[in-house]
Amino acid sequence: MKKIISLTKATMSNDMSLFKIYSKNNKLQKIAPLIIGFYLMIMIWFFANTLFEKVAPYHLQVYQLTIFAFSIVIMTFIEGIYKSGAILFKCKDDSILLPLPISKKTILLIRMFKFYLFEVLYNSLFLLPIMLAYIRWAGSLTITYFITSILFLLIFPIIPIILSCTIGVITSSVVANFKHKNAMQTVLSLIFLIGFLMIYTNIDSFLEYFIKNIANINEILTKIYYPIGMYLKLLTNFQIIDVIKLLLVHSIIIVIFISILEKFYFKINSKTMVVRAYKNKTNNVYKVIAHNQRYSLIKKELSTFFNTPVLIINAGFALVLYLLIVLYITIKIDGIMNILTNIEGIKITKEILLKNSSIYIFLLVSMTSFLTSITNSSISLEGKNINILKVLPIKPTRLLLAKIESYLIVTTIPLWLGIIILYIRLKLSLIDTFLLLLLAILLPLISHLIGLLVNIKYPKFDATNQTEIVKQSMSSFLSVMIGMLLIALTYSIVGPQIGKIKPHIILSLAILISSIINIILSVILIKIGVKEFNKLSI
Amino acid sequence: MIEIKNVTKKYGDKKALDNISFTVNDGEIFAFIGHNGAGKTTLIKSIVGIHDFEEGDIIIDGVSIKENPLECKKKIAYVPDNPETYEHMKGIDYLNFICDMYEIDQETREKNIKKYASIFEIEDKLTDTIESYSHGMKQKIVLIAALAHEPDILIMDEPFVGLDPKAVFDIKKILNEMIKDKKIVFYSTHILDVAEKLCSRVAIIKNGKIIKSGSMKEIKGDKSLEKVFMELEAEK
Repeated sequence: MKKIISLTKATMSNDMSLFKIYSKNNKLQKIAPLIIGFYLMIMIWFFANTLFEKVAPYHLQVYQLTIFAFSIVIMTFIEGIYKSGAILFKCKDDSILLPLPISKKTILLIRMFKFYLFEVLYNSLFLLPIMLAYIRWAGSLTITYFITSILFLLIFPIIPIILSCTIGVITSSVVANFKHKNAMQTVLSLIFLIGFLMIYTNIDSFLEYFIKNIANINEILTKIYYPIGMYLKLLTNFQIIDVIKLLLVHSIIIVIFISILEKFYFKINSKTMVVRAYKNKTNNVYKVIAHNQRYSLIKKELSTFFNTPVLIINAGFALVLYLLIVLYITIKIDGIMNILTNIEGIKITKEILLKNSSIYIFLLVSMTSFLTSITNSSISLEGKNINILKVLPIKPTRLLLAKIESYLIVTTIPLWLGIIILYIRLKLSLIDTFLLLLLAILLPLISHLIGLLVNIKYPKFDATNQTEIVKQSMSSFLSVMIGMLLIALTYSIVGPQIGKIKPHIILSLAILISSIINIILSVILIKIGVKEFNKLSI
Repeated sequence: MIEIKNVTKKYGDKKALDNISFTVNDGEIFAFIGHNGAGKTTLIKSIVGIHDFEEGDIIIDGVSIKENPLECKKKIAYVPDNPETYEHMKGIDYLNFICDMYEIDQETREKNIKKYASIFEIEDKLTDTIESYSHGMKQKIVLIAALAHEPDILIMDEPFVGLDPKAVFDIKKILNEMIKDKKIVFYSTHILDVAEKLCSRVAIIKNGKIIKSGSMKEIKGDKSLEKVFMELEAEK
């Protein structure tokens, strides 16, 4: 037991350093993440309050609470699909842990535990404010509510993690046999992710049934996902026997999963670590080609991007979703119009929708842009290679600009593609289309500049795997929060103006504001970012 | 010429380098020795521009690294103690990348890559990704990258670690060729008998301070470098 505690402590001290802050002197740097985390929780609290208020007259607060919890379970599962492969396999600490006289099951357990602990912390950011908001609307509350809520904060991530780890193991075992492992890992994870999203968004008939049978919601939730149903049951009728049953079920699931996985985990792991030098037998001749610095730096950045599956999936998620929405709009525009114009209480006509379609596209582009901050990991992903860059005779500004330029290519191309498709389908005006194309550069640029600045300030060079950098670092956390704030701001400012101000004026103003923001951020990058970059070293 | 003038580098309150001064002249192979944690890597990283330092200056051919780092970096090649490369790149892509950064023309890079890849017997591996390389092969690719842009100053941190005997022999030969062209080779090492035979000058660092520096003859006298080093280490 002492061994396990010591091992857990050692791995946690390195891997769970989400809140590791490098500067000891800068108070703002220390407080900023806490402020942003707190801000996020308040935002969620307000959001939850609004929804509880709406369902309160129908006495559906408890169902609303379980729906919130279910959404977070889904989020954990989706995230887990692309995180699990990198968390379980090809870990940098393999060379430390595997030679140690500890059972392989222990190593596997520790890795799963790390994943679990992070998800508990991450989910708490969302669930805690929701659970607190519920107190106001629940009427009378007993101590069992708090016990149940705390218990479920710990229980909820278990099954999504086990399911996503199963997918992670399947993809990794398939990928291990391929030449281009990273590309295969990306493709398979995306297939699982998109597949799940398609199933999840095509459950209209199920939702219909769900709404009609609201009285049997407990039964339905239990059928969909046992812990959610049990959560609802315990909230309404707390029985200690149910708690024991719940803990027992989860314990059995964990034991079965670990026992099965243990049998072939290390075989797959060692296979994924093997890097074979595949050769084209007829072409073994190397080419020496000179390029300019800028081209070469962009090529290097793109090569890093396309060789980091978790980064592609993380960035690709919003972009793929954007393209899917564009395709959906293109195919089902009439259906969408009918639904929107028939919503009770909202007076909207097809003409108004079409007239303002460029604004809706702008909102879609802004959401995609602010959710796609690839640069927030670009410094951390350099790892020890940051020293290579620092030795090179290139200005730091040039290095940082290359990162921005590379990721602008990645984001702008799909955004442009979507705008052009919608221009053709919705017959947008040329001026609006041109303004949208410009915004598809300016908005991701804001996101990339913020991501890069945050990553320079909060780099993570000691990660055991790339997932920790891309998904579990202070830098990615902060940029996601800032991105969400920007989305909320854009929607709250632009939303009320739709129909009141002409679309091209709104778009022009958006260009003006985003240009100013970009200029300010660029100045900060050149003046402060470069200074901070020069301080980085391993 | 490398002039290290009163360089002090602190980690918090601890001085990693304490008022270090010495000079490395053109055409010298300079050995920099000291126990683990003495400050060797810290000084090397300060010379090549990875670390900033609080006091003093480092002058490369009359140019301050603090005032004009790019001009200094153009003259330097650095080989770290652990071969740091972009693992997902092919060997040749990495070499092209480094040459692009130093703006080396097509002819020069072609000549040098061919020459050094052939010396280190790695020509047929250049089309493989670096992640498939062994530690020694990675070390070789870093060495080729360092030599391909014909640096005036070659700075190496433990360059012989992980290399096979033939590669060590080849490097020694290359270093001797470099000093014939009046270039500078500055390297840290723990292999004292190689340093003794190869280097014309030496500096010994202990707890961030240079405790001895000078020509190899002056430092060791009739004793071996190992013996001198052990005696100095034993002193409080």
